[in-house]
Amino acid sequence: MNAIQTLSVAIQKRFGRQRIRKIALGSIPFLVLLTLWRMNTVNEWLPPVYIPPMASVAEAIVILQDECTGLAGIFSMHQGCQFTNHVLSSMGRVGLALIIGVPTGIAFGVLAGMNRRISNTLEPIGVFANAISGIAWVPLAIVWFGIGAMTTLFILLNTIFWLVFFNTLLGVRGVPRALENSVLTLGGNRWNIITQVYIPGALPSIVTGVRMSMGFGWRALIAAEMIGGSSGLGFMIFVSASEYKIEEVFLGVLVIAVIWMITDRSFLVPLEKWTIQRWGLVWRPS
Amino acid sequence: MATTSPSLSPRPRPVPSARWRRFTKGGGAELLILLVGIIVLWSTISSLIPNPSRYLPAPLTVIFSSSDMLWKGLLPNYVGQTIWRLVLGSILGLLVGIPFGILLGLNRTVSDMFYPILNFFQSISGIAILPIIVVWWGNSEQTVFTVILYTALFPIAFNVLAGVRGIPIIYINVMRSLGASNMRIIRDVIIPGAMPNIATGARLGIGFAWRAVIAGEMLVGKRGLGWMIFTAQDTDHTDQVILGMVMIGTIWILIDRFALRPIEADTIQRWGLVQR
Repeated sequence: MNAIQTLSVAIQKRFGRQRIRKIALGSIPFLVLLTLWRMNTVNEWLPPVYIPPMASVAEAIVILQDECTGLAGIFSMHQGCQFTNHVLSSMGRVGLALIIGVPTGIAFGVLAGMNRRISNTLEPIGVFANAISGIAWVPLAIVWFGIGAMTTLFILLNTIFWLVFFNTLLGVRGVPRALENSVLTLGGNRWNIITQVYIPGALPSIVTGVRMSMGFGWRALIAAEMIGGSSGLGFMIFVSASEYKIEEVFLGVLVIAVIWMITDRSFLVPLEKWTIQRWGLVWRPS
Repeated sequence: MATTSPSLSPRPRPVPSARWRRFTKGGGAELLILLVGIIVLWSTISSLIPNPSRYLPAPLTVIFSSSDMLWKGLLPNYVGQTIWRLVLGSILGLLVGIPFGILLGLNRTVSDMFYPILNFFQSISGIAILPIIVVWWGNSEQTVFTVILYTALFPIAFNVLAGVRGIPIIYINVMRSLGASNMRIIRDVIIPGAMPNIATGARLGIGFAWRAVIAGEMLVGKRGLGWMIFTAQDTDHTDQVILGMVMIGTIWILIDRFALRPIEADTIQRWGLVQR
């Protein structure tokens, strides 16, 4: 008993009492859900066609990965590794769209933030493009690019670019004139102002924009893959649903949620916090 | 005699000029040039490319197709159905989500318990669970509604919960020391204090719901704007696709600018102080 007590005290000291309490409490509803799921399988309240047993969801990975040739096969996207191929193609698309969309969004945002005329011209387009939600572009994108990777990439880029653009624009506009003028007084040129004043000053807003665009983009991507894709998690769950392989659908949905939560919680949120802490003061001189 | 007194000099009244100045300063001139520019560019491109009726029909074609669809009564029907789904789904989402969020937020232990799971469900988009629901209920109206409701509900409940949690405990303690009942605290402290978050959550939830309506109609095949652009693409009526997209964009801008944003701004102005 004593050993257990010392151990529990040590754990509490190591991880923090409040955090442990939160984790323990937060896991209760998940455990209840899992228990209900298990009980459903045992008692068959709802047939397995509607809610598959947990084991078959786990088994679905094995079935999908049936002809996979190990790690090398996963990374070379071998045809047999269906599951990892879908995951990788969805994530790769997000990565590609980020690499293209974020820099161009920032560039146009800074440009528009510097010049009233440009911002007055680009802003209405952006408002409209944002209002035509990602999905509504899918039919036109299918006409233009056909069903496949280009269409989904287009939808994703369309979502990411405008959100990053808007947030950069807002951020640049929020930078006080005094900072800009002082750099000019010290002999800085236009380029110095962009790199030393506008971009650092707008950084918190830009990072918020990136996080938002990822949130909207991930949702739009899943939907775009369902309608106009030929690979990816959205495509996977849609095809599985039409074949009534409900366990694959459950697997896909869980993976979609887990990927998003991991990206958001352990990457985007800390990045946003850090940026606001590091650069947020720049535009709040008071 | 037609002579005018000096006080009624022929100087133009200042009102139109001020309005004109506001128009140009607010980007009105650029907006006009932009619209004309886009339409010119659009017509030029569509006259240059081969097979424009498939890839990019001219603006006039789109306008003709819209008048055609208006004449047949299809367009008002689709718009009406889509908006009706959005409104019903959002209202249900608000009616369930707000009390749910408040109830969960009342107790610290309960809210710590439900915070992660609400976050989890918030991050599964409604579109992702649509295939599951299609397997359950088939391509029915019920399926679309469930997806809309699900999409609206979780952002709303999550934001309300966060809002209730953000109320400084001092306010609640003050009320309690003055002898207020629990109902009184909920009515006078918790609901007003969570108001800004409720408004933000509502706007977010309805925004997601709008996207879910369009996608749901496409995937489930229920008549509406999403269905319209999807089937138009299938039958090679690109003019109808573009018309539908313009309608979707315009309707959302109208809803957002004239209903959701003013409500959110007013709420934050009216109740936002409680949190500071």
